[in-house]
Amino acid sequence: MEEYNSGEEILFNSDEATAPIKECIEGVIGGTDYNQNKINQWTASIVERCLNHFVKQGRAFKYIVNCTIMQKSSAGLHTANSCYWDTATDGSCTVRWENRTMYCVVSVFAVAVA
Amino acid sequence: MMGTSDTYLIRPNHQEKFKPAVVKECIREVVRERLTGVRYDDEEVRQLSTTLADSIKDRVKKAGFDRYKLTVQVVIGEQRGQGVKMSTRCFWDADTDSYAEDVFITENLFCVVVVFGSYYY
Repeated sequence: MEEYNSGEEILFNSDEATAPIKECIEGVIGGTDYNQNKINQWTASIVERCLNHFVKQGRAFKYIVNCTIMQKSSAGLHTANSCYWDTATDGSCTVRWENRTMYCVVSVFAVAVA
Repeated sequence: MMGTSDTYLIRPNHQEKFKPAVVKECIREVVRERLTGVRYDDEEVRQLSTTLADSIKDRVKKAGFDRYKLTVQVVIGEQRGQGVKMSTRCFWDADTDSYAEDVFITENLFCVVVVFGSYYY
């Protein structure tokens, strides 16, 4: 019987994931300024693009992609994660991006399926 | 990694299913306990966000979702009337996996907590 992952490693590589996530962000909000009307659309596109990118790799993972966009004011923001999973196979990747008028933080969590 | 029995189960039974309402209660209790009366202070919030995430994870684990892998995300920010938007998309098994969230806002800070539960077959 054929094994599902013949030779494919089940390990989420967080370093390799940063570049594609950055590209997804740049693709959507690259040259733009904070706009209250468009922000729903932006967060939805960023999150869908990132998710599609990872799903296309066809690996045996469940994905959770989270995106936060905040207008630049003098306010501070902190993000923290705590996970209960199998550290050998599961992983996460968080990317911070900013431009003149806003901050964007995208987190991707990958959880192995058995 | 997971409990010893019933590894042949590929779907959670009714009692074991990830219940967003129960988890939301867990989140609410921990957040209100830790953040009522707290002012936003950069150093303190840095520590607070990580400890909060760990406490919530431990609390949810105790609630008894044994076959679930948990991911807890805590976002705490200073409230100065700026705009913030957070969205999430998940690629998972909608029959077994779910999430719970809660938002806590005070005069000078806001805190968003999301807990994702994904079933381990």
